Amino acid sequence: MVMPVPAFHRFVFAFGAAFALFYAIARARGLALFTVYPSQGIVLFGMHRSRDVADPVLDFLAPEMYWYGWIASAAAGAVAVGVIAALLPARLCRFWAWCGWAVPVAAMIACVYLTIPWFRL
Amino acid sequence: MATTLLILHGLVAVALLGAITHQALATCAPSNAKPLSFFGRFRAVPGAGFTNAVVILYLISWLLGAVVYLFFKIDVQPGLERDRHWHALGFFDLKEDFVAIGLGVLPAYWICWRSPINGQSRQMRIALTLLLALIVWWGFLVGHIINNIGGFGW
Repeated sequence: MVMPVPAFHRFVFAFGAAFALFYAIARARGLALFTVYPSQGIVLFGMHRSRDVADPVLDFLAPEMYWYGWIASAAAGAVAVGVIAALLPARLCRFWAWCGWAVPVAAMIACVYLTIPWFRL
Repeated sequence: MATTLLILHGLVAVALLGAITHQALATCAPSNAKPLSFFGRFRAVPGAGFTNAVVILYLISWLLGAVVYLFFKIDVQPGLERDRHWHALGFFDLKEDFVAIGLGVLPAYWICWRSPINGQSRQMRIALTLLLALIVWWGFLVGHIINNIGGFGW
């Protein structure tokens, strides 16, 4: 028996897949919605690098954090994809459910690849 | 303040690790395990009963970790860079990536365990539960190594 799948289920599966995809893209391309400067307690909209406006050797005085901005970017994109998925026909639910675990696994592999430079130092 | 939050983060992570490991084994382990063995009893828990606990503990752990991360960036990371702990920093980078991806997967995981079981939802349950278990184990081990790195003599 095939049970009807609520639109919310499609939203949730598509959200999970899109979140992972957009996070990996944001991580690779540096697309942070905002930048946090923890030592100054400042949050700036968009992506900013301390070394672009100050001497690179002084970078340690104002370390920037993008992780929160990457999560926000991924969440914003994933909500949009989730809403679209919820509006699409219910027969695509199997596809979204498959994407719901396969895309996060692929995104994790992509993150491993992006981390390789740390291990070459 | 940072130490208190870090200890709380660790305690919540221990609870989360226990819950997700129980659930993952209950979902995936072969059903022919001897019921009286340790392994048999470990996996003989009703997996669905852990779902809400896993979601709540994951969110609390993530929130505490996100706050502690601010202190880490200012007080700890410069020291690790100065001492050239590049591998540890790489592992920590992976931890933050995996944990973020796990955050996005959490709603799908919750829905899977709330839905009635059939062939497809069983596969989804197994996949998402194993994925979260991997993320939680990775986060826990890397966090533990970073916390204790001074004593490793690397």
